[in-house]
Amino acid sequence: MRRRRQQGDEAAEVNMTPMLDIVFILLIFFIVTATFLSEEGINMTPPPESDTPPDESAPPPIVVQVDGDNNIFVNRVRTDVDRVISAVNRFRAESAGSAVLIETNDEADHGVIVRIWDDMGANGVPVSLTRAEDSGQ
Amino acid sequence: MARRGSRVNTDDEDVELNMTPMLDVVFILLIFFIVTSVFIKEPGTDTLRPDASTEDSLNPSMLVAVTSENEIWINRRVYEMAELQPVIEQLLQENPRARATIQGDEGADIGVILDVQDRLLDNGIEVTISTLQE
Repeated sequence: MRRRRQQGDEAAEVNMTPMLDIVFILLIFFIVTATFLSEEGINMTPPPESDTPPDESAPPPIVVQVDGDNNIFVNRVRTDVDRVISAVNRFRAESAGSAVLIETNDEADHGVIVRIWDDMGANGVPVSLTRAEDSGQ
Repeated sequence: MARRGSRVNTDDEDVELNMTPMLDVVFILLIFFIVTSVFIKEPGTDTLRPDASTEDSLNPSMLVAVTSENEIWINRRVYEMAELQPVIEQLLQENPRARATIQGDEGADIGVILDVQDRLLDNGIEVTISTLQE
């Protein structure tokens, strides 16, 4: 420092240290607070309502009912969660292109519904979700 | 005759570091962290989410958790279904283009999840259901 003042031509050099301190503190703050959030998931929202009437020629949907004790019925035939897709495929073999309607009781487990939804999605079966009318709220 | 001060002092002045390249690097790091940081309010509870194979990666800015006891957690607090509307409105005010993700436990009632989803959809928020992370 003394040297600089003596020589005069270097006098314009700014002392960076306090600024560096502040920048470091900011950096540490942002490193600590940064949360690299990565979420994976599915979209179970109902499709938007359309004005066009439903296609009358479409085959009736395959109804998968789930009751409050997680019992699963495919077109009123009881099955379990692993065999829903094979049961649905059997019905789809009879009437190709039919969609699946999951009709669930409010007390069914979230995990079971997601599992069925995912199995349908993985096999390219169009699927939608509705609440059973008798389940109440 | 030249060295009047201590030897250490003169050495100190000689080895003064050039801070500028380091400052450049630190600034770039700082800008990176400012840009990538998302200030998201964690629900504050862990849920065992169902596994799915058709999942998409999401980029939510609002997280709602539903535990196996059907408690609704937002921002480290439990809320009743009836209390949800003002909370959602407040979060929406902070981030008007929010996208919500529901972290539902496998054992949670689907009715509660659908109620929360309906509540969020009524406020015009996109909703997705979170699944197990690999």
